[in-house]
Amino acid sequence: MTLVPVTYKGGIYQHDIVVDLIEDLGGYIVQKHIIAQEVVLQCFVPREDIELIRQISRPLFGDVTDSPLVGTEIAIVSMSLEIHHLPHPSCDIAEYVRRLGAKSNMVSLARGPGKRIAGLNDEERDVINEHDIAVYLMGNFETCIEYKIPTLRRGIEVPIVLCGGPDKEVLKRIINPPVDGYVGNVGRFMRRTKEADELAKLDEIIDEITRVLEKKREEIAKDPLSVYPARLMGLIREQVPEILDVTSPTPLTVQMAGLRVKLPYDTFAEKVKKVAIEDGITLGEVAEILPSRMRDYIIVRVLPFSETNIAV
Amino acid sequence: MQTVEYFEVECPEALGAEYYKQIANDVLLDHNLLKVVDKLHIFIDPKVPIFVAVGLLKKITTRIRVGDFANVNPQEGKMTLVTSDETYLAPMLKIFWERFSKDKVEQPDRFTVILYNVPATPQEIEEIVVADPSESLHKDLIYALRCIAPEGFRLRSEVFTGTKFTFVASENTLAEDIGTLVAEKFRLMGEVPP
Repeated sequence: MTLVPVTYKGGIYQHDIVVDLIEDLGGYIVQKHIIAQEVVLQCFVPREDIELIRQISRPLFGDVTDSPLVGTEIAIVSMSLEIHHLPHPSCDIAEYVRRLGAKSNMVSLARGPGKRIAGLNDEERDVINEHDIAVYLMGNFETCIEYKIPTLRRGIEVPIVLCGGPDKEVLKRIINPPVDGYVGNVGRFMRRTKEADELAKLDEIIDEITRVLEKKREEIAKDPLSVYPARLMGLIREQVPEILDVTSPTPLTVQMAGLRVKLPYDTFAEKVKKVAIEDGITLGEVAEILPSRMRDYIIVRVLPFSETNIAV
Repeated sequence: MQTVEYFEVECPEALGAEYYKQIANDVLLDHNLLKVVDKLHIFIDPKVPIFVAVGLLKKITTRIRVGDFANVNPQEGKMTLVTSDETYLAPMLKIFWERFSKDKVEQPDRFTVILYNVPATPQEIEEIVVADPSESLHKDLIYALRCIAPEGFRLRSEVFTGTKFTFVASENTLAEDIGTLVAEKFRLMGEVPP
């Protein structure tokens, strides 16, 4: 059974039918938003059952669309939090990525701007490494990008998609060793992205992110995870009920190979470790429970089958 | 950019120049400065790195008077002022309070002010200067140029003399002979450096 990420949009009336159906089919709901009279579900469902969900939700005016970014956590790395980079383009891109189902976090560097003076500290590096992918938003000059990128990518282990002012070919030429994805002609700008050509650029960023994530998914599929991260959501919710009191929009953030639990590490790490999955197997046996560099959260990294010899 | 007579961005990287022209245009438009800038020449060299903006301002003589945004209707023993927009309402009230004291000024609603038995004619009231937009002009222009300049360029030198302005920024210590470069850019615009 292959699970594919989709978004369901429909009316609030009888939406629990769809929720039950997805759960019965063996799918997982990653995020649920109720906006006025509309429900948006971001979920993983079995590929062969999408048509069934479409059929059943048709009388409810539901709509099922592919959203390849569901279940990923993306770091949008902005060079600073100054007016130069915010709200355009950093927020525009972060928001657009979110619209397609990803959980995007904006990581702003303390000393990102400039050429010679640019730098990346250990906390920023670790926070970026906790995500599935990092999208670097660079400036308009190839001289500066060429000069500062070796510093800014030092120690980054996740795939990088680099956006910058110069053309894509120029970016490919000046970045050595190459990064995973490039989007040219998206540098610093001071206007809202609303024209057709600007939105096309945002779509290009999404395509590049999707392509890189797809590659990462294939890598993971070669050595499958011991447990599907989206499955852990429900288990943690049942066995660590304190998570229900967390007011953050996504108390449990699903990643491609893990999960962020927004509870203090010192108090809850042991409890999370003891979460029973099935047949006496606990979460601690199939995953590493680590302190996150983001506040005092817990980060769960699911181990591959080759390391645990367990698949649940 | 119809109102700006001369507007150029000079940069060794052609694409970079194009982007910065767009940025400068957007920022000046956002800050309502397009109508006060007459000429603007921006030079950026990311290799040095240096950012130079030189330009000329138009002479602004328009002061905002009460008559520009309010109708003064004299009645017996009082004057009713009906304002069309609230932008200058607060400074106007402040001037009235100082000049006529608070008990003679009443504001029954957002767009109406009533003056009771004030020792002034309606014409005099209309002529009262409420605000001078040119006062904050230099401050606004420096802020706008800081937004246009690359963010890392934090060492700045700003010179404003009457209608001419110079803004130089870099992330390294500014060279001592920066004046020569500035003068050269003024000559490109067909102007004499200040």
